[in-house]
Amino acid sequence: MPGDLAVPLPFVRVDGLTKQYRRLTALDGVGFSIRRGEMLGLIGPNGAGKTTLFECLAGVRPVDGGTVAIDGRSVAPPGRGVHLFYLPDGIAPWPAQSVRWALDFTIGFFGGDRTKRDEVVGRLSIGPLLRQPIGTLSKGQRKRVILAMGLLAPQPLLLFDEPFDGLDLRQTRDVADVLREHVIGGRTLFLSIHQIADAARVCDRFVLLSGGRVRGEGTADELAAISAARGGTCGQDLEEVFLALT
Amino acid sequence: MTSSLPNRAAAWRWLLTKEWRELLASRAWWVLVALAGPLVGVSFGNAVRAYAEVSAGAGNACGIVCAPLIGIWAPTFSAYEIAAIFLLPFVAIRAVSGDAHSGALTLEIQRPLSPLARVAARAAVLVAGWMIAGLAALVAMALWASYGGSTYLPEVGVVALGHLLNGTLTIALALAIGSVADNPSTAAIVTLAATIGTWVIAFAAALQGGVWTTIADYTPTAMVSMFQHALVQTNVLLATLVAIAAAFVVSAIWLRLYDTAARRWARTAATLVVAAGLAAGAAHVRGSWDASESRYNSFDEADEEALARLPAPLAIEAHLAPQDPRRTALERGPFAKLRRVVPSMRVTYVARTGTGMYEESDPGYGEVRYTYEGRTASSREVSDEGVLETIFDLAHLAPGGEEEEGFRGHPLVATAKGAAVLFYVVWPAVVVGLAILVGRRRR
Repeated sequence: MPGDLAVPLPFVRVDGLTKQYRRLTALDGVGFSIRRGEMLGLIGPNGAGKTTLFECLAGVRPVDGGTVAIDGRSVAPPGRGVHLFYLPDGIAPWPAQSVRWALDFTIGFFGGDRTKRDEVVGRLSIGPLLRQPIGTLSKGQRKRVILAMGLLAPQPLLLFDEPFDGLDLRQTRDVADVLREHVIGGRTLFLSIHQIADAARVCDRFVLLSGGRVRGEGTADELAAISAARGGTCGQDLEEVFLALT
Repeated sequence: MTSSLPNRAAAWRWLLTKEWRELLASRAWWVLVALAGPLVGVSFGNAVRAYAEVSAGAGNACGIVCAPLIGIWAPTFSAYEIAAIFLLPFVAIRAVSGDAHSGALTLEIQRPLSPLARVAARAAVLVAGWMIAGLAALVAMALWASYGGSTYLPEVGVVALGHLLNGTLTIALALAIGSVADNPSTAAIVTLAATIGTWVIAFAAALQGGVWTTIADYTPTAMVSMFQHALVQTNVLLATLVAIAAAFVVSAIWLRLYDTAARRWARTAATLVVAAGLAAGAAHVRGSWDASESRYNSFDEADEEALARLPAPLAIEAHLAPQDPRRTALERGPFAKLRRVVPSMRVTYVARTGTGMYEESDPGYGEVRYTYEGRTASSREVSDEGVLETIFDLAHLAPGGEEEEGFRGHPLVATAKGAAVLFYVVWPAVVVGLAILVGRRRR
């Protein structure tokens, strides 16, 4: 049908993703789409299943059901690393190694673009940290180094878990600008963000996750409309929409 | 935007570099290398002292008691058996759990690469690290040569190979257990429990004999002991390689983070079943090489040629309890040598008790009955010569040709001059200095 042809194929389509931890259902038939070249925000309260969702998408945690299709084709976990790269929150990989080496390793091991290293280092202000071992960095410094590793990796889709956690206001804004530049450059970003105000400021669309279920998906306007359709009176404010839908 | 991951060989080289840098950053490994010196030093010093005493007392043609293999190299290299049990597992476990807990594994695992290739990179670096610790033994060899001691390289090479295999087996087991266990403490306890388990098997073999003896022949301790006598037995070598490969495969299985625990356990169980089958098959493979200068593990060549031509099966029934020292003497001496050359041979033990203490009144106790082509002969001899004489008489074989000139030994009355300074002061100081230097250069 002509109408079907007009609908762009999502870059990533997730359907029925389910993850059970013994009696606890962490993800319950989660389904949503990621469009190419967008900055998609995953928002939800503590324990909503955001990190579990990222881990399952990246194939670093087994799932009990569901599919992940990339460019219309179902991709099993071992092959997803070609398309997406997940950067967990709160990690300090290779703590004894210097930041410089970690960035070089990321470029060499994953096949990043070496010519972009200096630019990314400069934009994230991690130049003075290059000789420091990762294990000695503060939380905010480590976060910026992890972000740099992600931006230097070659995969077209990056999954950042809490990219602004540990950053001060100025750093948060700077990092948001850097991420936006990469989206403009053709990258697709999926960000799990605890602070809804941060998410509202930087993301194009949102997936609302609560209790392991997707409660809504769309732009702030679309989510507000969904909320209104369900009888909510929260206007356009994402925090209010979030509270109404979860 | 599309992804352009580098080829797998390039990625593997990066992984290898990363593992090497992580090893150099591992305090556990530096401690292992630093302690290798004093451990070898203690063993070497004591061995040289004992060797000198034996040499002084036994004279110029002291034979096997003045063999450097038994007097110097077996005890000196035994330092690495201790290191392999109490130090090396922690180095390997740290490599696995360090990556898991820092988050490095989560990042690395996302790059499509065979799990076995990942394990191979880590194992290759850890084995290289173990070989570096082995340099302390080279220092001992240089010292021994400086004292005027004799070194027969094939036998020293086989002893070193045994410890290399033992180290690789330890690394493989620790990697496997470290991958399965949730945290390093659990992995360390389970690895030590596995080692103690092999000691229990050896203990049960000594007390009860039977099937325990067969199993005990394939424990790491027995494997190392075989190599320390410069003997390479194909069946033990193959079984060890199978165990190493199985442990690496198990480690790789647990790197498949996207698989459910149930599936990984199922794959692990299947791997262990296949490995057990292969090891059982390997047990039937004959073939061995006695690399010792003294032919410590062999009869005279002429006798061996005669024994190798025995056309019919040789049955031996020994009325000796498992803990009877004569049984141990027969097993480690003539029976071990017979098994290497006689085409078809079966040994059975008959005993009512474990110690044999209350069987001495039984007139048949202590007898060893040999049956060949329907003829039977009895003997109480446990020496090589006594056993051979009985078999040759029974099989109507003439003892092998002219008696070869036996191994005369390499007596040496020397003191371990310089060893204490080298192993207790210089070696640790150099290792600590290198650790500091490498730590600075890493940045």
